[in-house]
Amino acid sequence: MKTTLAFLAVLAAFAAAPFALGPYYTTLIIPILAYAIALIGLNLLFGYGGLLSFGHAMFLAIGAYASAVMGAKLGVRSFEAQLIVAMLASGTVAGLIGLLCLRYTTIFFSMLTLAFGMIFHSFLFKFYDLTGGESGISVPRPSLFGASHAGLSKTAFLVGPFYWYALGLFAVMFLVMALVVASPFGLALKAARDNERKTAFLGVPVFWVRYVAFVLSGIYCAVGGAVLAVSIGAADPELSFWTQSGNMIFIIILGGLGQLFGPVVGAVSFTLLQDALMANTQYWRFALGAILALIIIFAPRGILGLITRALDWRRR
Amino acid sequence: MATVDLLFAALFNAAVLFLVTAGLQLIFGVQRIVNLTAGSLYALGAYFGASVFEWFSAQGGSPALLLPVLILSGLLAGQVGFVIERVLRTVYGRDEAFQLLMTFAFVLMFQDVLRYVWGAQPRLLGDLPSVYGTLAVGGFTFPVYNLLVMLSALVVAGLLYWLIERTSLGHVVRATAENGRMAEALGANTRRINTLVFVLGSMLGTVGGALVIPTTAASLEMPIALIVEAFAVVVIGGLGSIRGAFLGAIIVGVLRALSLTYFPELEVMSIYLVVIVVLVVRPYGLFGKAEA
Amino acid sequence: MTEMLLRAFEVTKRYGAFTALSGVSFDITKGEVVAVVGPNGAGKTTLVNTLSGLFLPDEGDVIFEGRSVKGLGPSALALRGLARSFQLVTVYPSFTVEEMIAVGAFARAGETFRLLKPAGVYRRERDEVREVAAAFGLAHRLTTPCASLSQGEKKLVDIASALTLRPRLILLDEPTSGISSADKDRIMETLLAAAERLGVESLVLVEHDMELIARYATRVVGLKAGSLVADMPPDAFFRDPEVIDTLVGKVPHNALG
Repeated sequence: MKTTLAFLAVLAAFAAAPFALGPYYTTLIIPILAYAIALIGLNLLFGYGGLLSFGHAMFLAIGAYASAVMGAKLGVRSFEAQLIVAMLASGTVAGLIGLLCLRYTTIFFSMLTLAFGMIFHSFLFKFYDLTGGESGISVPRPSLFGASHAGLSKTAFLVGPFYWYALGLFAVMFLVMALVVASPFGLALKAARDNERKTAFLGVPVFWVRYVAFVLSGIYCAVGGAVLAVSIGAADPELSFWTQSGNMIFIIILGGLGQLFGPVVGAVSFTLLQDALMANTQYWRFALGAILALIIIFAPRGILGLITRALDWRRR
Repeated sequence: MATVDLLFAALFNAAVLFLVTAGLQLIFGVQRIVNLTAGSLYALGAYFGASVFEWFSAQGGSPALLLPVLILSGLLAGQVGFVIERVLRTVYGRDEAFQLLMTFAFVLMFQDVLRYVWGAQPRLLGDLPSVYGTLAVGGFTFPVYNLLVMLSALVVAGLLYWLIERTSLGHVVRATAENGRMAEALGANTRRINTLVFVLGSMLGTVGGALVIPTTAASLEMPIALIVEAFAVVVIGGLGSIRGAFLGAIIVGVLRALSLTYFPELEVMSIYLVVIVVLVVRPYGLFGKAEA
Repeated sequence: MTEMLLRAFEVTKRYGAFTALSGVSFDITKGEVVAVVGPNGAGKTTLVNTLSGLFLPDEGDVIFEGRSVKGLGPSALALRGLARSFQLVTVYPSFTVEEMIAVGAFARAGETFRLLKPAGVYRRERDEVREVAAAFGLAHRLTTPCASLSQGEKKLVDIASALTLRPRLILLDEPTSGISSADKDRIMETLLAAAERLGVESLVLVEHDMELIARYATRVVGLKAGSLVADMPPDAFFRDPEVIDTLVGKVPHNALG
């Protein structure tokens, strides 16, 4: 009940945004939705599954490149088709490397995902015929449900039809994840995070539970990546670099690890924070790093954790 | 001929990589923390070394003292490890994901500290290695500076081995690595050991960075790029193993030199493909131990 | 005629050069409560780990319900009806009692991979969780976070979570460790009554407390330095000073009473 209300409030806020803010700020919100979608997936793996991947930027990039290659190289403009290919490609890659990475947990898992992320990053550089090398590929405007919206300017397309499309996508992906987290599967995943051995002796095939979470998280990241590519108009290799994976984890921690609304709260706050910092100082990375350190030390459950604590305190 | 030059370049590379990754391994071996800051420390050592040597030359110092000055400045820069460890200490005992992320926070902060102090332009130390001249052996010529760096890496490897395997301090360090709480019960001051190990690990990184500055420019890309290679080294060698770092650095150094010469675009990919093969065949690296 | 449930056959387990178990053989039949005793380091926990599928024996075989289960692994073995608990109490700190007990219920019903239906709406599993909780006297604790339970309650939740698998046999590694001696009896009574009510046919207990063994065990298996040195009914065990001396060190003065 509380979750439903909070979800409706989040949707209402996003729906009101284009009317309350100008087109410039509305274009900033689309990447927020894109990251929120991707991080909902990563949160399943890291927050609920306890597996810290330092390579999930790879799946973000797979989504972005799937959209770009389909649109620019193969002439497939349907965004639905691009999304399906993005999900299939990412799911396949996650399905293959998950078999290897999930033989490990803890830091070894992090290192191995990082290794695969680096391979993918150099793959993007190497196969320039397909990927455009260092400069990447620009993403042509996709059609949404068959409508090309050719009459709209670039900004009008982004803040108009594409904004609502991205918001709808976010809503669906969020609801699906809300179900997954509350399902017997979600329970088993959290159980394995809390105590792997005990969970195995409760009849749960821990490896395969984690495997499903890994593949799902890869698919979510790809959807987020495809939306991101359209909103910034390009897919480039930096999307897959290890520091990008680090930022994704940063955003989850900032919002609130292992909490359903963590990714969206994190994506909104991170974007606002970065925007404000960049406007005021060229040394915004230092500020971000310091904030990350402070969050880790003083608020390990992120902004949502602080809010929950404040509410509890007032109720008392 | 080309092969010998190639091998020489590879081993120089390996020497520097070994210094940095030995620091990573020492810290992981004792504290179970993967220190992403290793790359930033490396870059810090490079920038700091360059500045110190420029200052030293401006004071009329002899260029022949290049190597000792750089080593000293690297050791000095490594003292920043005290500060990092002090902050890191607040998350000891927490989930290791948080410890890893804490070092990532330092990577972000270092990036701007380096930019603030030394600016965005790469920094080069001129053609200094030539002060030591070259050594001609059987038709090949080697820059003596590079030979000295390789020798230094060997000396460090020897010293670390001696320190860890032969001294009473090493005994305590090994006990802490095996079981921190147990070592504490036996009277070891784990807090001091953690500080000591972290600072020592940091110094290895900064010295590695300082030594490389006469041959490469210090730049803001250094920290991030080094991590990519350093991680390949530690994963191949096995997390926490100094011997692993030694062998891993040679493997990565050679691979890198080979692919730079023959398939420049495949540099990182070839290194990481080896990483994956090693992990499939030997899950915890060549000298690594399984998770406890 | 008694039915054989579990057979350890010449089970040997080594760690490097150290032999933790050497050629241990015994059978467990339906209706038994078998106490495993022995000094520290005798291999009791290694035995439980090997029988429960956590470790692969280096030699020998483990037979459950007439078939070899060697190499089957913990989760498959648990689903077949061989459950266990750990010496250190293991509850999921972030779970409520209800959620903790539900994990095994879903696994047994083959619903671990149901992704899109909230756990709360499964009526059959909810009833099952309630029944198991009630058997352990935990019905009033269902919504309590595991982290805030007393030590004794944690023990019970830990074992209750394994019993939702409705195992035929459960291996309990020191079920009363960390419990004050005043509470041990109560925990043991609750546990045995619940196990019987939920259809458990045999229990294996690793136990140090000789009074508990005298009171509840139907058979005593003694391990020393990895070898089986005793396998007898409790009254014979407590009357054999030599065996007691080897395995326990001192004869408890009131165990025979």
